[in-house]
Amino acid sequence: MKNHKEKNNKLFFHSNFFQKNRKGQVTIFIILAVVIVVIGVLVYMFYPQIQAGLGLAETNPQAFIQSCIEEKINEDITKLSLQGGSLSPENYVMYDNEKVEYLCYTNEYYKTCVVQQPLLKKHIESEIQKGIKEEVDICFDSMGKSFQQRGYDVNLRKGPENIELLPKRVVANFNYSLTLTKGETERYNSFNIILNNNIFELISIANSIIEWESTYGDAETTAYMNYYHDLKVEKKKQSDGTTIYIITDRNTENKFQFASRSVAWPPGYGF
Amino acid sequence: MNKKLFLILILNIFLIGIISAQVSYCCERLENNGAWCQNAPEEECNQNYLSVPTSCEATSYCRLGVCINTGEGTCLPNTPQRVCTDSGGTWDEREKDEIPQCQLGCCLIGEQAAFTTSTRCKNLASIYGLEINYRTDVQNEMQCIAMASPKVKGACVFEDEYQRNCKMATKAECQEMEIGDSNVEFHEGYLCSAESLETICGPRGGTTCVEGKDEVYFLDTCGNVANVYDNGRVNDQLYWDTIIAPTCGDENGNPNSPNCGDCDYYLGSTCKRAERGNSPNYGNYICEDLSCEYEGENYQHGETWCVDVEGTEENFPGSRNFRMICYNGEVSVEPCADYRQEVCIQSEVNTFKTAACRVNMWQDCYSQTNPKDCENSDKRDCQWIEGVSILVDEGGNSLAVDENNEKIDASCVPLNAPGFDFWKEETDAKEMCGLASTTCYVEYASSVTTGGLIGEKGIPLDAQCMDKCREECLINDPTNFCNRACEEKCPSQCVNNNKDYTIKETWIEDMSNICRAMGDCGNGNNYIGEQGYYDEDDLESFVTRSSEEQTNE
Repeated sequence: MKNHKEKNNKLFFHSNFFQKNRKGQVTIFIILAVVIVVIGVLVYMFYPQIQAGLGLAETNPQAFIQSCIEEKINEDITKLSLQGGSLSPENYVMYDNEKVEYLCYTNEYYKTCVVQQPLLKKHIESEIQKGIKEEVDICFDSMGKSFQQRGYDVNLRKGPENIELLPKRVVANFNYSLTLTKGETERYNSFNIILNNNIFELISIANSIIEWESTYGDAETTAYMNYYHDLKVEKKKQSDGTTIYIITDRNTENKFQFASRSVAWPPGYGF
Repeated sequence: MNKKLFLILILNIFLIGIISAQVSYCCERLENNGAWCQNAPEEECNQNYLSVPTSCEATSYCRLGVCINTGEGTCLPNTPQRVCTDSGGTWDEREKDEIPQCQLGCCLIGEQAAFTTSTRCKNLASIYGLEINYRTDVQNEMQCIAMASPKVKGACVFEDEYQRNCKMATKAECQEMEIGDSNVEFHEGYLCSAESLETICGPRGGTTCVEGKDEVYFLDTCGNVANVYDNGRVNDQLYWDTIIAPTCGDENGNPNSPNCGDCDYYLGSTCKRAERGNSPNYGNYICEDLSCEYEGENYQHGETWCVDVEGTEENFPGSRNFRMICYNGEVSVEPCADYRQEVCIQSEVNTFKTAACRVNMWQDCYSQTNPKDCENSDKRDCQWIEGVSILVDEGGNSLAVDENNEKIDASCVPLNAPGFDFWKEETDAKEMCGLASTTCYVEYASSVTTGGLIGEKGIPLDAQCMDKCREECLINDPTNFCNRACEEKCPSQCVNNNKDYTIKETWIEDMSNICRAMGDCGNGNNYIGEQGYYDEDDLESFVTRSSEEQTNE
């Protein structure tokens, strides 16, 4: 009987020990998970600097800048393409969880809209430029540090920046001059980033739709699909009289969407 | 004046655009959303921008004109001056057609064409690095696009590492190669696989799609594009010698044909990589069928049709018209304007369906007094319903007339009842539905036998009709006061002239029809079958008044 009790006590001791042990393991795993998340966030935030610090960065300045900024430009283009061409839309409608800017708008019923963004291409170019400004500074700084760490004398002079939307591509040009000296001197007078994107073609169609919307209050989507075989143009009328236009390139899946409110019909007479 | 008549008059005034709700300001910019040049109450205007109590069309700062992007060569009309200049454009108050910089012409660049301005044409040419041919004599886009003819190509043969290599090119392109390589020959109309050219390029290098073209093309062994894929001529050397127009297949664009690559986008096919189970007899590309399947039915590429959504036909509250579109094998949905302010119309020519969302012209139905004006489909979408008149004079007499100009109980109501936002506080649904409200007077005389007992809905149990025709009865038959003959001669509009004095089923139905035809009015279900706010009893009210009360009034 006593033996049995002792045995039971031992068992109890063992199970208690394992329970405590298990709790400890769970705590360690939680701490580990938190550490991994924190490291992940830090890596994400300071990726260019980390790359430079570890000597993993590109050895060619042009390639360095391309790999550093490319993703940010792509991100911004995708974002503003879904938001009617603005990174922070002001006059917008919510559609599919996106703030879609009105490019043509009237707050009245029965009336045609007034164009709100007449130079859309120029506006988008300046939006991209504004959006990447901070990233550009970070990338050029980390490129300088990266080359300094490899023993180069670095002389970087900042110049004008330019974003241009062109057929089938977006070109970012940085007229920065970089001189690298390590025995020999290498000089770079400008940096170009070229991205494959059809936003130029999509906004040309958007401009045509805006012209129709402001003149007639509507645009026929099939007309565009007849002319441009790879294009998909969708029109989604909302209850408040807003129309969302979605223009998609079927091959590249690049998309541009914007809102218009023109010749809106009220419920009833709309007194 | 009759209240209903007054309301209809107001609606008409509204329709001809005389109405002006409240003092409206032209706000150069709105405070809440930053929209430019909007007519709104003063408190909605951004105080940092201009605002005057007039319509924007009458102001100088919000006058609309054409915004010209001088650099790009684009012109956008209906742009306020400030919006244009702030964006860096040049504003012009003239019509677009009157501005020389905005005149369109046919811009032929390389093998492409664009109907655009001269500046834009030059811009595009500089982007592509090509010469332009700008034709101002071409006045429409279709004509311009049709002019985009490919330049004559041929085999451009050149020496490459002691071998006769070849590239398909235009004469100009080939001549450019000549600068770098002196041994260049151009053979117009020939393919690189031509035996006579003795190049390293041979026939049967597979098939491919070409950007900007619909057809499937053969490739030679050097990767040059040859003639359109025709399985019957894979081994026909003549087909590999010169550029020949395709002769294979049917006249329907050869969708999914394993033998012919002569696709045609407008007929419903285009070149695409073949999927498993749908392979061509040679190569990996096929004329993909661009038709669509929707709810078990097949639709051709480019067809548009109206979809039959639950509750649309009956115009139930919440229902809406939708246009469906089949393009590139995909069906997309295009909703017409909500509240049934647009209706979907469809036509069919040789089994090809075309649909469109068109404005529902219901707004002036109620004020029409005869069937001819009511059902004039050029001007409005209305229907003439006989039985009840919503247009009545002060005495309750119908204002509607028939074809012979005879008075008739009838109403002109929307063919497609519009929807209302009846759940909102600020809604005109009550006024609109109120047009269909009517009062039916029935007079009763109760006898002493029942002691004046009142039965269901306030009707005396043994009441005898003393309808509004009483006067006529008295005149015609003063001794037989409101007897059965009188009842037959002067039947009540709404009450059965028998002893139970119940409301006529036909009258209820007529009223319900009128009510529902007015818009989202009356009782009934919505488009998903949910019961509305009201049932029949909520829409009827019975008031019993004694003759003394009436006299006192």
